[in-house]
Amino acid sequence: MLDRLGASLKDALKKLAGKTVVDRAAVEELVRDLQRALIQADVNVRLVMQLSEAIKKRALEEQPPKGMTVREHVLRIVYQELVRLVGSPGEVRLEPQVILMAGLQGSGKTTTTAKLARYFQRKGLRVGVICADTFRPGAFDQLNTLCSRVHVPCFGDPREKDARKIVREGLRAMASAEVVIIDTQGRHALESDLIQEIIDIQAIASAHHRWLVIDAALGQQAAEQARKFHEAISIDGVIITKMDGTAKGGGALSAVAETRSGIVFIGSGETIDDLERFDPDGFISRLLGMGDLKALVEKAEETLVTSDVDVNAMLRGKFSLRDMYSQLEAVTRMGPLKQVMSMLPLGNMQIPEDAYDITSSKMQRYRVIMDSMTAAEMDDPSVLGSSRIQRIARGAGASPEEVRELLHYYKTMKRALKGVRGGQGRFAMQRMMKKFGGGT
Amino acid sequence: MFEGLRSRLQKVTGSLEDSIEQNIPPESAPAGASASDAAASTKSEGKDPSLISRVKVLITDREFIVSEKDIKEPLSELQIVLLENDVALPVADEILHRVKEDLTGRRRKIGEPLHGIVVNALRNALVGVLGEGFDLVSYIRGHERPVKILFTGVNGTGKTTTVAKVASYLKNQGFSVVIGAGDTFRAGALEQIDVHADSLGIKIIQHQEGADPSAVLFDAVQYAKAHRIDAVLADTAGRFHNRANLMNQLGKIRRVMNPDIIVYVDEAVAGNDAVIRAHEFEKTVGADAVILTKADMDAKGGAAISIAHTIGKPVMFLGTGQGYDDIVPFSAERVVDELLGVDA
Repeated sequence: MLDRLGASLKDALKKLAGKTVVDRAAVEELVRDLQRALIQADVNVRLVMQLSEAIKKRALEEQPPKGMTVREHVLRIVYQELVRLVGSPGEVRLEPQVILMAGLQGSGKTTTTAKLARYFQRKGLRVGVICADTFRPGAFDQLNTLCSRVHVPCFGDPREKDARKIVREGLRAMASAEVVIIDTQGRHALESDLIQEIIDIQAIASAHHRWLVIDAALGQQAAEQARKFHEAISIDGVIITKMDGTAKGGGALSAVAETRSGIVFIGSGETIDDLERFDPDGFISRLLGMGDLKALVEKAEETLVTSDVDVNAMLRGKFSLRDMYSQLEAVTRMGPLKQVMSMLPLGNMQIPEDAYDITSSKMQRYRVIMDSMTAAEMDDPSVLGSSRIQRIARGAGASPEEVRELLHYYKTMKRALKGVRGGQGRFAMQRMMKKFGGGT
Repeated sequence: MFEGLRSRLQKVTGSLEDSIEQNIPPESAPAGASASDAAASTKSEGKDPSLISRVKVLITDREFIVSEKDIKEPLSELQIVLLENDVALPVADEILHRVKEDLTGRRRKIGEPLHGIVVNALRNALVGVLGEGFDLVSYIRGHERPVKILFTGVNGTGKTTTVAKVASYLKNQGFSVVIGAGDTFRAGALEQIDVHADSLGIKIIQHQEGADPSAVLFDAVQYAKAHRIDAVLADTAGRFHNRANLMNQLGKIRRVMNPDIIVYVDEAVAGNDAVIRAHEFEKTVGADAVILTKADMDAKGGAAISIAHTIGKPVMFLGTGQGYDDIVPFSAERVVDELLGVDA
């Protein structure tokens, strides 16, 4: 459904191509498609109306700068207005600080707290976590388990019912930590005693940052909730969780508008490393149903510290088995393949579903098989004939069919990546947007 | 609950009425003293509602036809209202279509109360979309036991809490219950449901963390059979509908425990994505009923409408708070009547 939206937006943009004057009907169509896309992404209806009015007005009234086509002119306006809507990323400093997490029940605060701890830990800071969720059974066990996996100390007491006391004691216990993250119980705007509780916690902790965790699927309710939280503890950053589903996270924009803060992080998976810094370009692409190359490259850069994978070479179509090997090695760190692929601007290109359904155990098998290949074979898989396949299969303790399956998978991947590179038109829009976005 | 949607809907029915009212042709006012009275009052009081009501009283046996043009503006207002209340876009379109069908081309006796017509059109559209509720108690009464109920849904919608609430509800209705702790993935999930089962005094079947959920739930069913328990409530780990492997796991659970009812749990505060994921769950593992949680968060109520419309399955319960008793059986008629302010 959402892919179709992206497509219809592109169609509307196409109609503007080659025009010498701005066509009112085409602009209106574009705005209408944009409205539908944004409303389906749960962006606040009022915000959408304001945005589309502004785009329409500017597109029709402003003169295109000299040398700029009508299409580029309208695109630039659309992009600028979208950037304004999304806001700039919230600030994250790598320095000693106390962070207070707040949010509705089930929005993913505890998981995100652990992910944040991991994030700061990887940046080289000493992290401590306090579990101030005194209500939900199992909350401390959950946070403690997640934290101990990455060796982050976690303070809490499942028997203590007073969150304020836990925070007070926790801050003392975590005095040596540079970054202290306080997880709190889920609450919503109408629970006035719980709102009072978080006000008290903030008074005790005087946290440097108060981050609001928002489920990507949260709808129009987001604005109201965010306002109440903002009134209580003055939110200065928003984290969107569960972006690995199909939800677009538009609700979080209402929260951004209400709190006049920025989005700091995006949670996109169930493992502790699935946390990304917010990237407006990528977010916009997702809102509109278009892929984003930048986030992938950034993610690859961060996970592949030793630069095992040359993303740019891959995109130029130089994708050897060696690249695939390092990719498989990195894949546990990088997250599921589908998630990586979804960040590529593949547009409407169909990736065969079976390319995704490679389980991690299969990945392990593939690596073992590739370990039995020679360097020449890794660099140039085309030399692999049936006798070489026989030899590899014997060496890896696999069947020749498995080796062929691996080669088939390799070819599918290679084709997919070629599509990315070949599709100049597909991300021309994005490049153009970046060019103009930077210029003004 | 659903306060926001209610007040807005009432406003729109009002404006629908107004725009229909204004279309009463002036010449239809009867001649004579009453007409000049009416004219005089128009001059002095402008658009006084009392004028409208007086005209309405005077004209009793004429008819007029509601045209599409008359209600275009209020309908687009209604669309905004629905969207602002989290009704997903395709579903909002569908509702508008129904209301329009129902209202346009209608011949109406002038004497017939307007309020009734407008509210009826909207009410029919909403009740049509929400469908009937699902009476769990009479289902269990009329069914071979143990009745096996599987709970599914995405992460963080409140499945575990809901399982505890439904367990408490059934226990209060005099049924015996056993819980299968099928969330073996999330850290702390076992401890969470353990505490619930403990404080409710309900038997729980669980394995260690990381165990195969199908095996746990199979054991729960076996236990229920051996001990003549009325209902098995099977909790599962939250999963996203776009994860093929996790959805396959759910398919396996379904094959192994063969549930009588699959309950899809989602939150009432969800936006447009509610439609997409409800559809995917329905498609891959099926769903027989829906439970909406977090309805106490001043929820807009649109998700209920969206989900019910998308998968065409009844809503069984609404979760309305953190306590075990914060769960209410759902009735479409009652919710809609409450939304529209109809005294049923």
